[in-house]
Amino acid sequence: MSPAAILQARGVTRRFGGLVALDHIDLDIPRGIVQSVIGPNGSGKTTLINALSGASPADAGSIQLDSREISGLKPHRIAQLGLARTFQNIRLFANLNVLENVKVAAGCRSAESLFGIVTGNRNHRRTETAIDEAAREALHTVGLIHRADDAADQLPYAQQRLLEIARAIATKPRILLLDEPAAGMNMTESLALLETISRLKSTGITVLLVEHNVRFVMDISDRVAVLDFGKKIADGSPAEVQSNALVIEAYLGRRRRHA
Amino acid sequence: MRISPYLALVAAGALSIPLLTHDNYVIQLLNIAILNAIVVLGLNYTTGWTGQINFGQAAFYGLGAYSTALATKFGLPWIAASFSAILVVALASLVLGLPTLRLRTHYLAMTTIGFAEIVRLIIVHWEPVTGGTSGLRDIPGIDLLGWHPQGQIQHYYIMIAVLALAVVVAARIRHSTVGRAMIATKDSEIAAEQSGVDTLRMKLLAFMIGAIYAGIAGCLYASSIRFISPDSFSGTQAVFLMTMLIVGGMGSIPGCVAGALALTILPEALRFLGQWYLVLYGLGVIGIIALLPGGLASVISVRKLRWGHPQ
Repeated sequence: MSPAAILQARGVTRRFGGLVALDHIDLDIPRGIVQSVIGPNGSGKTTLINALSGASPADAGSIQLDSREISGLKPHRIAQLGLARTFQNIRLFANLNVLENVKVAAGCRSAESLFGIVTGNRNHRRTETAIDEAAREALHTVGLIHRADDAADQLPYAQQRLLEIARAIATKPRILLLDEPAAGMNMTESLALLETISRLKSTGITVLLVEHNVRFVMDISDRVAVLDFGKKIADGSPAEVQSNALVIEAYLGRRRRHA
Repeated sequence: MRISPYLALVAAGALSIPLLTHDNYVIQLLNIAILNAIVVLGLNYTTGWTGQINFGQAAFYGLGAYSTALATKFGLPWIAASFSAILVVALASLVLGLPTLRLRTHYLAMTTIGFAEIVRLIIVHWEPVTGGTSGLRDIPGIDLLGWHPQGQIQHYYIMIAVLALAVVVAARIRHSTVGRAMIATKDSEIAAEQSGVDTLRMKLLAFMIGAIYAGIAGCLYASSIRFISPDSFSGTQAVFLMTMLIVGGMGSIPGCVAGALALTILPEALRFLGQWYLVLYGLGVIGIIALLPGGLASVISVRKLRWGHPQ
């Protein structure tokens, strides 16, 4: 219950029929850190992100963003309050170009009247300029500014993932939820991604990083939580988690079943 | 806003048409085509941008026409009658949209078909007011502060002016937070929500703006043709409007106009073929959909690139 926690989850539970995908998850994420959530496939990582972001709300439990209860709110309200996310299975806006994809998010708090838009008054022009600048800045941060005018669905896979991140940070989030951002990336691209995440952290954004690949998160994470079959089985520094017997069992057990 | 030479050429062409022909039949046909273009531009907000299938557009068109006809026949000044007609359409779309836009894709399509059928049944059966199947005639004409446009050509210029306004408004909205949010809603509702877009609000807004476009066109239809009957706003007409949108190119403003003009004029141009015209017409529509998945708009955008004005 640290007062510094930017995101605090208590007893978050999600059921799909008889399957308990999330079983009373507690999570405290201190401000300004990189918190990772790892776990084998099917352990509930994406379900957790969906529950926190309101995309597929939890059945029970409380979620507080900066001490404000956000469970039960519509996803767009949660985004406006400062929780942004990316998608494991990329969901870009195919009929908008790269810059416009980011502009959608950059305009998430601008309340514009239709009258202003249609007449093109000063308030509207000022808003459009601010949105354009914010969107370009976000593209710059992830290194995609040179693709601003291209069609979003024509980007190579790794750049589509970066565009997802640019779109998320353009909402000016307090906390950013990244759902397996390195999936499908090669080594060079993954390393560049880690650098980008560090840069985001240095600008004061708290990051919740969900990953399947344990090695990928160990260096960058300040804290690591481990999910297995919908339960949190460990939470602590990377070193603590790596030596945790339950974690080793979860991962090794998983591997034996694969073999 | 910079005006491209391409756009200027189209505008000059549109304005000079009455100099080239005084054939009332041709101008009348163009007037209907322009009204259809306005209605299709409206449909584009809901279906082309926001991705909601809407078969109620013809009913909103009819609602606008009948409201204008009844209000002017009742004795209201034309300006007041047209404003009240637009208000009726806006309210109807709000009342229909609020509960049904929570439904997804084909449920919304079914609801709008149902709505269109209800409007048609009311028009057909409320005979003392709507004239039933024989419609309403002798509807008072347009009265713009004492100016009564006479003949097809004067009406043509009014239609062109309203179409230009409809296009400008659509272009402005397209390149604003609202337009981008509408397209985001179509492309990925969940990603739009998580980017802070209130998708339900966007769907309702698109639906209402689209209905208002249809209402304005309906108002002009009633006051310029001065005769209306339920046939002009039937379910067939709704499918026809959707075809114009698809043939023109979903989401493209020039595409909407091109689609409406092409599919309104083509049946008349092919009339000399007698019964065969429908066959050729059908083949033409299938051909365009098969060969140009982006509709006529994909031809227009290639042309624009050649003129050196991408986007």
